[in-house]
Amino acid sequence: MLTMGLDIGSTACKSIILRDGEQILARSVVPLGTGTVGPRKAFGEALDLAGVARSEIDRILLTGYGRFSFDDADGQMSEVSCHARGIYFLLPSVRTVVDIGGQDVKALRLSEKGALENFVMNDKCAAGTGRFLGVMAGVMNVKTEDLGALSEGATEEVSISNTCTVFAESEVISRLSAGVRLADLTAGIHASVAKRVASLVFRGGVVRDVALSGGVALNRGVVRALARELKIDVLVHPDCQMAGAIGAALFARQQL
Amino acid sequence: MAGNSAGETPGAPAQKPKAPLPKSRALVNEQTAGVYARAWEAHERGEPVGWSTAIFPQELCETFDVPVLYPENNAAAISARHMGEPFIQHAEGEMKYPINICSYARLNMGMADKMRKAESIQTQGIDPAMAPPAFLCLANNSCTQLMKWYENLSRNLNIPVFFVDCLFNYSEEEPAAHKIAYVRGQIENCIRQMEEFFGKKFDWDRFLEVQRISQTNRVLFNEIVALNARKPAPMNGFDLFNYMAPLVICRGKESTTVILTELKKETEAHIAAGTSTFRGEEKHRVHWEGIACWPNLGHNLKTLGGYGVNAVMNGYVTAWDVAYEPGDLDGMARAYQVSSTNSLTTPGIMKKRIASIDRFGCDGMLCHVNRSCKLMTFHIMVGREMIEEEAKVPVANFDGDQSDTRVFSEAQFETRLQGLVEIMSGNRNKNGNKEARHA
Ligand code: SF4
Repeated sequence: MLTMGLDIGSTACKSIILRDGEQILARSVVPLGTGTVGPRKAFGEALDLAGVARSEIDRILLTGYGRFSFDDADGQMSEVSCHARGIYFLLPSVRTVVDIGGQDVKALRLSEKGALENFVMNDKCAAGTGRFLGVMAGVMNVKTEDLGALSEGATEEVSISNTCTVFAESEVISRLSAGVRLADLTAGIHASVAKRVASLVFRGGVVRDVALSGGVALNRGVVRALARELKIDVLVHPDCQMAGAIGAALFARQQL
Repeated sequence: MAGNSAGETPGAPAQKPKAPLPKSRALVNEQTAGVYARAWEAHERGEPVGWSTAIFPQELCETFDVPVLYPENNAAAISARHMGEPFIQHAEGEMKYPINICSYARLNMGMADKMRKAESIQTQGIDPAMAPPAFLCLANNSCTQLMKWYENLSRNLNIPVFFVDCLFNYSEEEPAAHKIAYVRGQIENCIRQMEEFFGKKFDWDRFLEVQRISQTNRVLFNEIVALNARKPAPMNGFDLFNYMAPLVICRGKESTTVILTELKKETEAHIAAGTSTFRGEEKHRVHWEGIACWPNLGHNLKTLGGYGVNAVMNGYVTAWDVAYEPGDLDGMARAYQVSSTNSLTTPGIMKKRIASIDRFGCDGMLCHVNRSCKLMTFHIMVGREMIEEEAKVPVANFDGDQSDTRVFSEAQFETRLQGLVEIMSGNRNKNGNKEARHA
């Protein structure tokens, strides 16, 4: 039995093919979000990698911000439930999932059996989201995916006091013109994201274990800063970026 | 605070063929049109028209038989018809008001300023168009921002304000005796000032009659709301947003008794026939917190309906449940200080919500994080934990505004709702169906 989960986010698309809801056959990440060729590309890539045709997939579920805008699927589910289910599959001890997406941040509470019990999400503001990191990376002229490694070289943290993306952008520009080190500035940006995310996570309550999902989890600097803010270890699975897609594929299996 | 008297919900899902309006709704529309028409006629005769906050002791002007319009209600109606933006822009641009103040205030102050500059609102296709005021009635029982709003109207238009200063009940469940005496004294003072302003004597017998009618109307409304505890509910809970308009703008009038009696009859008929104004299967029942997103009412309704979610009850509509014994002025003074939950503590409000969630058999709560009505919204940040712990239902928030279209995001609303629905479905599979107490 083959199922596919396609997570159409605002900045990236992820697809996964599962056999019998257990074995990952193929995964694809395309750094293009909804409204682009990203969804179609992630969809096709996963099929190619698994060496199967669309007709051989028993059920396809969509999730993510762009879940209503792709025709070739059997249904859709919210990214809230899919992230919860996906992380439980990857890290079964987890009770609190923090997902930092391109334009929102979620803190999810899972039951011991992995069912979604509750969630809180950021208000309509880009502070603490992947978009915030993207904007700051742009100002510093570095790639978003290089921010984690860059912050490794920090000797101190340049504090960024504005949480508003637009104001923080000007703050980062003025720090750059004051000649601060890029590594120290990056560490400060990570701390700013972590503070904002932690306040949301505290609102939902912190229950061990805590995991970070979504693409931002690949940034070690954010993970470290968040662990420091939450005063707790934060688990990250190598497939953390795929959690939403995995959850969708698992729900697809359950629906068969 | 306000109710929408706009009649048909603009932007509501298209129905083919269009079902005729229930008689009660047609009566609401007729009543609203009549109130506005009467105010214009009075204005054209050179007689005074009042603008009043939504929970001012309406019994006074009703007794004096002077036409009164309600800016909060008008702002809701205009927003629901997507006509509010030019006024909000005028308030923020030309008048330099910040985006942080209540959007009802921005919309209304923008409109009043345009009126002052002799830009006829009537000819701009604004519906319902308010006749210009000659006096203002202000009670700050739902928020203190109203004071600045009305103070500014009063200065800009150079007209008097009849003010009843209500005290909040932050440290006690019941208003203390001195607070009741304070408000009663002000009501009596307003009567004296109004006698002078209107040039008429206050008719205390008529006042008693108006009090009686007001009580009949609020009791009827409560009885109708209680019918929605049935499972499945006979009404789409969003209907309450429309039917509260008569209570807001005509609480002391017999025409409201006629409307609510008809609505009660229609609702009972739905119960008897096993039908409902909620279209489709009622899969989930949620408690709605906060004012409606008037400009997005149609979208909210359609999206909720798509997931089989009926927002059977909301805490907002109970704000006009101003309960007292006719003839008891102290009781009336007390009631005007407690009917809006905005004047209570967070635990006090949540206690009411928890009881209501239980009574209406709700599986979850959907909270409008309203950028305008901060007093109503901020409670929920802490209050949601109380709801989750004591009512044992999941809570989801979404961002919006009662009038300002810039705040709401359709995608965010749907994601939050879908997440809530998925948790409610999971809970149902785990616990079985939660029964409404009055089912
Ligand atoms: S802030 Fe809230 S209570 Fe105050 S006027 Fe606006 S809507 Fe009404």
